[in-house]
Amino acid sequence: MTAGIEALNVYCGVAQIPVRALFEGRGLDVDRMGNLMMRNRSVGLPFEDPVTNAVNAARPVIDRLEPAEKDRVELLITSTESGLDYSKSVASYVHEYLGLPTTCRVVEVKQACYAATAAVQMAVAYVASGISPGAKALVIATDVALVDERGQYAEPATGAGAAAVLIGEDPRVLTVDLGAFGNHSYETMDSARPAPTFDIADSDRSLFAYLDCLTNCFEDYRSRVEDVDFATTFDYLAMHTPFAGMVKAAHRKLMREFAGTPPAQAEEDFTRRVLPSLTYPSMVGNLCSGSVYLALCSLIDHAPLDGGARVGLYSYGSGCSSEFFSGLVDHRSAEELAAMRVGDHLAGRCELTFEEYAGLLPANLRCLVPEQDRRVDVEAYEGILDRARAGRDLLVNTGTKDYHRTYEWLSI
Amino acid sequence: MTMRDDVELVVHQQIAEILPSARISGDLHLKDLGADSVDRVEILLGVLDRLGLRAPLSDFRDVPNVDALVDVLAERVS
Repeated sequence: MTAGIEALNVYCGVAQIPVRALFEGRGLDVDRMGNLMMRNRSVGLPFEDPVTNAVNAARPVIDRLEPAEKDRVELLITSTESGLDYSKSVASYVHEYLGLPTTCRVVEVKQACYAATAAVQMAVAYVASGISPGAKALVIATDVALVDERGQYAEPATGAGAAAVLIGEDPRVLTVDLGAFGNHSYETMDSARPAPTFDIADSDRSLFAYLDCLTNCFEDYRSRVEDVDFATTFDYLAMHTPFAGMVKAAHRKLMREFAGTPPAQAEEDFTRRVLPSLTYPSMVGNLCSGSVYLALCSLIDHAPLDGGARVGLYSYGSGCSSEFFSGLVDHRSAEELAAMRVGDHLAGRCELTFEEYAGLLPANLRCLVPEQDRRVDVEAYEGILDRARAGRDLLVNTGTKDYHRTYEWLSI
Repeated sequence: MTMRDDVELVVHQQIAEILPSARISGDLHLKDLGADSVDRVEILLGVLDRLGLRAPLSDFRDVPNVDALVDVLAERVS
């Protein structure tokens, strides 16, 4: 039995701000940009929410399915730390606007930046179990940013958007190594979203937990899989990317611990095995639980895959839970993902000035606040939309009516 | 030299390697010496390596300053 990712896409908004502009606008120390390794961050607009991000990521994937294939989507899981309601899932809206079959299970999961990988593994196990031959599952990691100047150096690293991962028996993008995984979880308060308008974070607690979990996950992976060598088993690595510099530190740590390589000598290995996965994350920022799948997109679009390659993937979510797993990619992965034109999508985002960015924040920070009746004036942002090149229809949030979110398709 | 002196030397050497222009003072936090989060990780991992210790980074997250870091590490070495 094979199972894994049949199709993959990301949606990272229609606007971005250069990280340097954000540093200068906030008066942050630009000397710290070196270790951040970030160039831009995606910025949501006030008519974008977890539903629109999810649908806009998944629609190109769903549109490429034959009707008979679409009918076989039996499981829809949204993974988000940007929930809209204590009861009603983001997935319920997404199911509607993607036109998925009524015979589909619909559910939402939460575990900070890790939850999508838990969902992917559950979906892979469902497909691989053979209890419903030919079934497909759609996992969508979707989030919005609730960050402003209070976030300090986290602000330039915070992204927004969604990753859509279609799981099935014909894994054209990533054949998951079934049974090859390692986990590590324990309770910690490293970052959280206690209310719908702000995040809290303890940066050292979180970064240290990310790195400790990586070591422990890899130890667990190694205990389950024979003859694993961190330096040689994985042709490439794609990791959850809070910021690209963090992944570089994580790679150095594992090379030090499992390959006996001092940091100064790890650079070549980093450039070869890790750097291709960081191009997109450094243009977007932290995509929460979609981050590792954005890194995978980046890897597939930037690394030579002709002979096939094994990828080690690492997912970490505050709180905390984490996983190291692996899979195979090849030329089909590159062909499948090329159809999504992720690079064009990112290049087509409108560049915001710091003043434009700061002007959007008050409305963006209200995105998740429940309001009985609300109207979002999409036309007010035409000046920004006119400068974006999306070349497709996008779902936009037009407000709420009796707490029910309302949406429309907009041609951009 | 005591064991603590040896550990202090290693800590100061590692800080100097990551932050060449830092003026090290034992009562300051690594942040106050100009270390960002990645620098702090590299300092801790480098010190653990030089001392031949294996420990979770999380064990050091609440250490208030360089002297306290030396104390915690000296305890583990002994």
